[in-house]
Amino acid sequence: MGLIPEHVRAQLKARFDLRLSGPVHLTLYTRPGSSRLILPAGVGCATCEDARQMAELLRDAAPEKVTLDVVDTSRDPDRARADRVDDVPTIAVGANTEAGRIRFQGLPTGTEFPALIDAVERVSRTEHDLSAASLVELGKLTEPAEVMVFATPT
Amino acid sequence: MSLANRMALASPQIRALCIEANEFPRLSAEFGVRGVPHTVVNRGGAFVGALPERVFVAAVLEGAGIPVEESAAPSGPSTELSG
Repeated sequence: MGLIPEHVRAQLKARFDLRLSGPVHLTLYTRPGSSRLILPAGVGCATCEDARQMAELLRDAAPEKVTLDVVDTSRDPDRARADRVDDVPTIAVGANTEAGRIRFQGLPTGTEFPALIDAVERVSRTEHDLSAASLVELGKLTEPAEVMVFATPT
Repeated sequence: MSLANRMALASPQIRALCIEANEFPRLSAEFGVRGVPHTVVNRGGAFVGALPERVFVAAVLEGAGIPVEESAAPSGPSTELSG
């Protein structure tokens, strides 16, 4: 497997050994595809295999705490719809087996990879580190809100 | 994006979605992404740039239709409210 070097795996395992406390559940929404083929829009998934490797990297770094569920949206579109997943690959991070509310759509490389690691660690420790004032403000939300953040690898 | 994730962890009402902009060019174009991080609340109001926590929270509440105090409202050269 070429995407993730062995020394990165070792670093991540050491880091998770120190920083994870509670369970983390990842859900990878994917679709069959190939990174070696150029496919028409809407057909296949050019980055799904790499996303799978990344999700498996996280699971394998702490298999006693991190679980991974893979959903093929081409076979189970109802699940994707119910979980409000619009596109693939998407990795959802949560504390239990329900689809997490922290999600990464697309291959989380560059600045997004540390954010993914941070999300796993924070979910594991239930550690949001927001101020008391922010929590009071967020308590005013009475309906679900979606916060989309567009980022790039550089 | 970490701040959005932290908010999703703190509030069961929030869902944070980090999108790789280059991989979804149509979606990026639909939401007028020209710089990153570009944050969109409830597929409506948007702002660009990394904001301090207090201002980010206020911007999310504002985007969700919750009135916020003037002092916490997003402002400054790194932000651009639209939508």
